[in-house]
Amino acid sequence: MTAQRSARPSNTHKRSIVLPRIRPTRIVAALALAAAGGAAVSQTPSEADLARKLEQLAAELAAVKAQLATLQQQRAAQAAASAPAVPAANAPAPAAETASPAAPATVWSSYGEIVYNRPTNKPENAQADLRRFVLGLQHRFDQKTKLVTELEVEHAVSSSSDPGEVEVEQAYVEHQLGNTWAARGGLFLIPIGLLNENHEPTAFYGVERNFVETAIIPTTWREGGVQMIGQFNNGIAVQTGISTGFDLTKWDATSSEGQESPLGSIHQELALAKARSLSWFGATNWRGVPGLLLGGGVFTGDATHSQATTRARVTLWDLHARWTPGRWDFSALYTRGTISNSAALNAALIGNPTLIPSAFDGQYVQAAYKVWSRQDYALSPFVRWERFNTGKSYADLGPGLTPDPLPTETVWTAGANFQLTPGVVVKADVQRFRRNKDNDRINLGLGWSF
Amino acid sequence: MSRIRAATFVFGAALGLVLAGCGGGTAAPEAPAETALSDQAALGELIFRDVSLSASGRQACASCHVESNAHSPDNALPAQFGGTLLDLQGGRSAPSARYLAFNTPFFFDGEGTATGGFFWDGRAASLQGQAREPFLNPVEMANTDAADVVAKLALAPYAGEFKRVFGADIFSRPADAFDRMALALQHYQLEDVEFRPFSSKYDEFLRGKVALSAQEQRGLALFNSPAKGNCAACHPSAKGADGSHPLFTDFTYDNLGLPRNMALARNADPAFFDLGLCARPAGDLAGRPDLCGAFKVPSLRNVARRQVLFHNGAFNSLKTALTFYVQRDTNPQKWYPLKPDGSVDKFNDLPDAYKANVNTTESPYNRRLGDAPALSDAEIDDVIAFLQTLSDGFSP
Repeated sequence: MTAQRSARPSNTHKRSIVLPRIRPTRIVAALALAAAGGAAVSQTPSEADLARKLEQLAAELAAVKAQLATLQQQRAAQAAASAPAVPAANAPAPAAETASPAAPATVWSSYGEIVYNRPTNKPENAQADLRRFVLGLQHRFDQKTKLVTELEVEHAVSSSSDPGEVEVEQAYVEHQLGNTWAARGGLFLIPIGLLNENHEPTAFYGVERNFVETAIIPTTWREGGVQMIGQFNNGIAVQTGISTGFDLTKWDATSSEGQESPLGSIHQELALAKARSLSWFGATNWRGVPGLLLGGGVFTGDATHSQATTRARVTLWDLHARWTPGRWDFSALYTRGTISNSAALNAALIGNPTLIPSAFDGQYVQAAYKVWSRQDYALSPFVRWERFNTGKSYADLGPGLTPDPLPTETVWTAGANFQLTPGVVVKADVQRFRRNKDNDRINLGLGWSF
Repeated sequence: MSRIRAATFVFGAALGLVLAGCGGGTAAPEAPAETALSDQAALGELIFRDVSLSASGRQACASCHVESNAHSPDNALPAQFGGTLLDLQGGRSAPSARYLAFNTPFFFDGEGTATGGFFWDGRAASLQGQAREPFLNPVEMANTDAADVVAKLALAPYAGEFKRVFGADIFSRPADAFDRMALALQHYQLEDVEFRPFSSKYDEFLRGKVALSAQEQRGLALFNSPAKGNCAACHPSAKGADGSHPLFTDFTYDNLGLPRNMALARNADPAFFDLGLCARPAGDLAGRPDLCGAFKVPSLRNVARRQVLFHNGAFNSLKTALTFYVQRDTNPQKWYPLKPDGSVDKFNDLPDAYKANVNTTESPYNRRLGDAPALSDAEIDDVIAFLQTLSDGFSP
């Protein structure tokens, strides 16, 4: 895991670890805390306190690892810069040699996934796809300030006549304000759910991201704005900020996109985003007990931008938990979205196939078990149950005009992740749909992240 | 810590200020405001109404594009009469001149769909280009050439103003003068909001100022529904993402297989067929037989004001036109004559070679003989009630 990844404040694949900013003093702090932790064990018998101390130690260890990775990157960069040639006698020293050890570091990262989907009842629709290839670039201006960017290509080829897209997925500057708080501004991922901020293929089970966190939470969901990030010693991490939001004026009632993902069809991705109205978001995650993560988030804001006859507020919230005792890995999530005043917006769209829902929701529970591991190899079978409904209710438009709620879909997914090394995963799973049997499929995938 | 608190305070204050500015009020697009016309547009208005520019001395643009009837003909003739004695019948019905400011030159889109252009066959690339033709059409204003028009223009009461705007010597250059005359007409149609008032009941409904009646709502739902009228597939009814009000046309072309209208004089010749796109005078689409029989999808704004519908004026009422849409294939005997052998001569306004071009795949044309029509009689009435909300000049 690169410094860029570890710099994210929220959940990662190893969710028991609070991943901090990088500071040299952390090495000393980690050692001090280690000693303090030992003292704490003897002084406070409470198991919870002990667990909290362990959690802090784990966090500090992660910081040390990240620091080490950064130093290695810097050292490599310096070596590359000073490598050329035999210096001419009396020539000025190369800039890299004169730079201080704290010189800005630039770090590349990448993740990607290649998938194969084969519908079991409609094998003629089988597809193979380079789902995404992402290049990340992080530049650390100084010990407190960094830039994080990610550039993504979806579906291998992007042109006017090809299905692919090129997207800037993240582009933000983060500045550390002290030991607890950091400020972030730019294009960033919204801290809702377990997956949105940590969507690399090595970070989730199954070839495909779960439906709840794609159809209801429109992963990978990003907005432009500013936020504050706070990480407290008691294991609580908070994020709050203001950002651009959704655009209901572009709802296409003639398309099925709104049924596939209500918010995915109206997100703006900071591409000439309408910004008359801004949205607010907040998220809290607690990691006070080793291996346990409890959290939730909310995002809300007007989505008509004074371009419709009525204002309409889009609100999405979630509650999530993850527990990783020993070889087990359990997670659960519930999320619900609402759109206010949808009746007024739908009035001119009646009769079309896809009206604006007033509510949509989804939930899943998932269990995985590391059944075998040797050196870096690890095999983790998993099973996931999820239910979601992208049109759970519609505001009343009168008899004969109000759409019926959409049926709730239930999906079982069973398969395994095989870790080749910590940065490479091979996946396989089977998915069964309760309603739409045409979607039953087997999936194979290869993913990487570093 | 003080720095942190300060930074947090600044952030919080900024957050509060910005959130205070969030949302707050709405501004649905209002009808375009009237503004003073430019000199060119003012001249265009005079030209638009000037009957002296025709060979008959009795016909102007405004004769067929009657302002009080949404710039459409105010009669039920399948085509208007023109010529020196106003006794020559035109070949196609006169379309409305409204909402053409949003049209584009003809082009094929990324999927190869014919789009845009002025006239039923899209042969003119602009309002200026469109404005030139009626002056020289033998069955319309019937001038012999541009110089003939300009000679009349030079005698008009506003000739002095025309020279002031376009140059004292403009009449000595008839080609240029004719060109400027058409340009003035374009200015007039682009600048005068009467050509795009967006003042229908439906516009007011979209602005949230009036509600549709229950029947109008049912009609809108049927109009939009892909399984029922599917009208919105070619006549979009929803606001654009930029808040723009719908024009009820996607500017494409379609081949509806209309019945031959024997009220058109030129249809007396059994060998004559009006083939639309592929038979444009310039011959530029002569190599596209798949486009034979295709005509422009018109805006449905003010459609209820029209007494004649479709390019060949085949129908005189919305009730008949909508019934044709949904019963063309389920009850073809109602719309087409019988052949000598007793079978229905379906799509009889097309040569046999081009009958396969008729749209038979999209609802409501995808029905078969004996199927239930996509809309019942009562549902057609509902759609008509909705279409009547598209007439400009609504007042609550």
